[in-house]
Amino acid sequence: MKRTAKQADDAGHFRRDWLSVLVPAAGALAAVYLIAAPLAMLIYAAFRGPADFLPFEDGAQWTLDNVIAVFTDPIMLGRVLPDTLIFVAGTVTLTTLMAMVLAWIVERTDLAARNVWFAIIIFPTLAPIVVKAIAWILLMSPNAGWANLALRGLFGWSGEGPINIFSMPGLILCQALATTPFVFLQLSAALRSMNPMLEEASRGAGASPFTTFRKVTLPVLLPGLLAPIILVTLITFEQFELPLIVGLPARINVFAFRIYNELNPASGLPNYGGAAAISLPFLALGLLALVAYNYAIRHADKFVTVTGKAFAQKRLPLGRWRIPAYAFMTIYVALSAVLPVGILVWTSFFGFTPPGKATWADATLAGYASFFSNPVFWRAVFNSFLVAGLSALIVTLLGGLIAWIVVRSKAPGRGLLDALTFMSLGIPAVIAALAVMVLYLSLPIGVYGTVWILVIAYSYRLATATRLSRATIMQVHKELEEASEAAGARWLTTQARILLPLLAPGLMSAFLLLFIIGMREFTIPFVLYSQDNVVLSVLIWQLFQGGQPAHSAALGTLMLLMVAPIIFFARRFLVARGSGD
Amino acid sequence: MLTVSSLQKSFATDQGRLNVIDDVSFDVPEGQCYALLGPSGCGKTTTLRCVAGLEEPDSGRIEIAGRVVYDSALGINVPTHQRPIGIVFQSYAIWPHMDVFENVAYPLRVARPRIPKAEIEQRVMDVLALVGMKDVARRPAPRLSGGQQQRVALARAIVRRPALLLLDEPLSNLDAMLREQMRKELADLIARIGVTALFVTHDQAEALSLAARVAVMHKGKIAQEGAPRDIYSQPRNVFVAEFLGASNILDGRIISSDGAQALVEVGAGQRLRAKTPLPAGSAIKLLLRPERLSVSLHKPVDDSLRAQVSSVGFTGPTVDCSLTLDGAPIRVVAPADTPIKAGDEVWLTPLDRNGMVLAA
Repeated sequence: MKRTAKQADDAGHFRRDWLSVLVPAAGALAAVYLIAAPLAMLIYAAFRGPADFLPFEDGAQWTLDNVIAVFTDPIMLGRVLPDTLIFVAGTVTLTTLMAMVLAWIVERTDLAARNVWFAIIIFPTLAPIVVKAIAWILLMSPNAGWANLALRGLFGWSGEGPINIFSMPGLILCQALATTPFVFLQLSAALRSMNPMLEEASRGAGASPFTTFRKVTLPVLLPGLLAPIILVTLITFEQFELPLIVGLPARINVFAFRIYNELNPASGLPNYGGAAAISLPFLALGLLALVAYNYAIRHADKFVTVTGKAFAQKRLPLGRWRIPAYAFMTIYVALSAVLPVGILVWTSFFGFTPPGKATWADATLAGYASFFSNPVFWRAVFNSFLVAGLSALIVTLLGGLIAWIVVRSKAPGRGLLDALTFMSLGIPAVIAALAVMVLYLSLPIGVYGTVWILVIAYSYRLATATRLSRATIMQVHKELEEASEAAGARWLTTQARILLPLLAPGLMSAFLLLFIIGMREFTIPFVLYSQDNVVLSVLIWQLFQGGQPAHSAALGTLMLLMVAPIIFFARRFLVARGSGD
Repeated sequence: MLTVSSLQKSFATDQGRLNVIDDVSFDVPEGQCYALLGPSGCGKTTTLRCVAGLEEPDSGRIEIAGRVVYDSALGINVPTHQRPIGIVFQSYAIWPHMDVFENVAYPLRVARPRIPKAEIEQRVMDVLALVGMKDVARRPAPRLSGGQQQRVALARAIVRRPALLLLDEPLSNLDAMLREQMRKELADLIARIGVTALFVTHDQAEALSLAARVAVMHKGKIAQEGAPRDIYSQPRNVFVAEFLGASNILDGRIISSDGAQALVEVGAGQRLRAKTPLPAGSAIKLLLRPERLSVSLHKPVDDSLRAQVSSVGFTGPTVDCSLTLDGAPIRVVAPADTPIKAGDEVWLTPLDRNGMVLAA
């Protein structure tokens, strides 16, 4: 055998499969661009002035004025910071309490129709917050809110109230109702996978159910509780919708709204530098919370008693707690799901006229009918599906690729890439929107004001996809891929014929989740709003503000109908977990 | 056929760099079955993965069927998919989204230049017939038993007629009964298709019964290489002796020697003769295999060793006895009818005077 000639040929030919380097490299580059480029521009903008200039504009120069202004602003220190902290702390406390009680009743007691309760608790997560916020205003506004009308009618009170949604407690209640399902899901999963013998041992030692809950259940669950609580802190912290819709009339001034205000001042020009400078400390806080979250999920894994395995749980009879338990469940579900949906549908036909004063003659289909001739409606529908669908597709594919790089490849810098994509979870939406705005106002490529800037801006949320795909990829035994390589398949063939089919269910659920998040999204399209890129969530708010409650409610109802089919897909991933018994 | 020369690989660990493969060289002639045997972490699997190209060594040279697939000096590293190999993985790695036929057909489907459909069909069915899986060709992969998975994995590995078959702990995922049966089937199959095979195992019985040659690996190095019988009867050191079977190893010293036979002292001055080239005065380890000792109540020969029986465990065909020899624990497996009980003083006589003495 002429080996020398063959060797030379081998050395030239058998370089690494170039696609196996090129494809991940392109993905990594895209991810870095989507997350890091806007952030870099944001930080840059914070140090450029004068404040109403874009950082690259002629006449802009280096300055510390923006940052100094933020830290010496009395409103910032006296209002924005305390309001933000009270809002977050109140919401997290109320959310945790409600979720804990709900999860315990659903998972550990002889509550009837458990799966129905479970589904109703989870269902509102599908609805855009803007839709829920409008429903809650219709329910709890001080003068015409249904709840107030009913209470006043019942007790013969007059004037306003007694419930006022436009207050800090009102805002906290709404926000807590919106975030509770997320914590509930995690807690009920944890309760289900807790070894019942731990509690039985406590009962056997003579402790009452309540003492057992306090002394055993809670301490065992605590490490697992930490992660969802921090996550809710993050979600609340970046909230923009409810502070805008419910908080603004109460003059509550959280940082997310403050940033928006700098960009849309009552008079004068947008203050880009100022908005960027306000972002910096809150960006740091968000990332700090993320570090804590990361720490919490790592340490929750080490807690061996709560495993992935589901145990058959013994259920406690509610006994004399039956009435309070059912009352709590009913009030929660009424406030979070049933009444909002009812009010929305009612208002879509009857406008502001409440049930007592309306006759069938008042019902009108005008709210719905007007849409068919309204080009803005059709544009918003098209934009919503385009932006949510396309960004979900980009994030799912890119996120899957990044997860693959982190889990499977030996590429240098993959740890950094992992950290960067994970970081996207800690970037508040309003800051992401601001960063994208500053970047594309400066880049002369003409996407600002179009629907494409929304696609780009939505696509920064890579962490959602990377974390879901990561779990799926780790479940795929590495030898399954190696077996394909050993069978003679090139890198791309292995990915396409082995890995992709195996990941498909996981990627599909990531896509659905991202699609729902995209449909719900309000902050980014609101901050980046233009006539051309209006989406449904923004249109609903515009109609409501423009004094067209029936139109707004009709659109909200339509939107619920649009996302509702997804629940049938999502059932597999959400409700299926609820039917553990 | 397969030549591995001076293979070297290290990983970074907390305690600095660890040599996972430390200067490993071996040769597998055409058509032979070669086993790498050792405990977990000895580097055997990493060596196999380097041969497969799934792992890149730091240095050395690997040649398969006359073709250099890895050479650190020449900068050659042929990717796995271009090496003429087939692998049976420890987990079997049967793709769950394909049925049996598609799993086995995969290596032919991805082959370039393309293989005609009819030929693929023919070759897959032939190889499925060979492993006795023809009837379940259309069964989905998740519905296969452990033994069936192993057969499919094997079929998939040999379907494209590789020059070299690699097997990574091929039987370790099966339960004890099935393992015995599959071991015989595997030996039979490898012999029938005449493929050159390299396999990795931690099970000494598996290595000794399947392979024509065995390399015992320890801490990244080949501790001993040879034919199964030679390795078993003439272990070169304590590690190999212990790894190849439960052994009693006593500290001893050579009192006198004529160059071939020596007088060895163990325990509290007990002496026996053994064959060894080691000189007088050497500190040694005396290896007494539990099943290679005869037990008697009366001293049969002048150099028998005296021991006390502490317990006798009846297992059916044999008795498994724990004894002490001047305080050192000794295990002996004797015929079931051996008339001894706990507390007896007995005499132990080695059945064979070869391969007993190891350098300390």
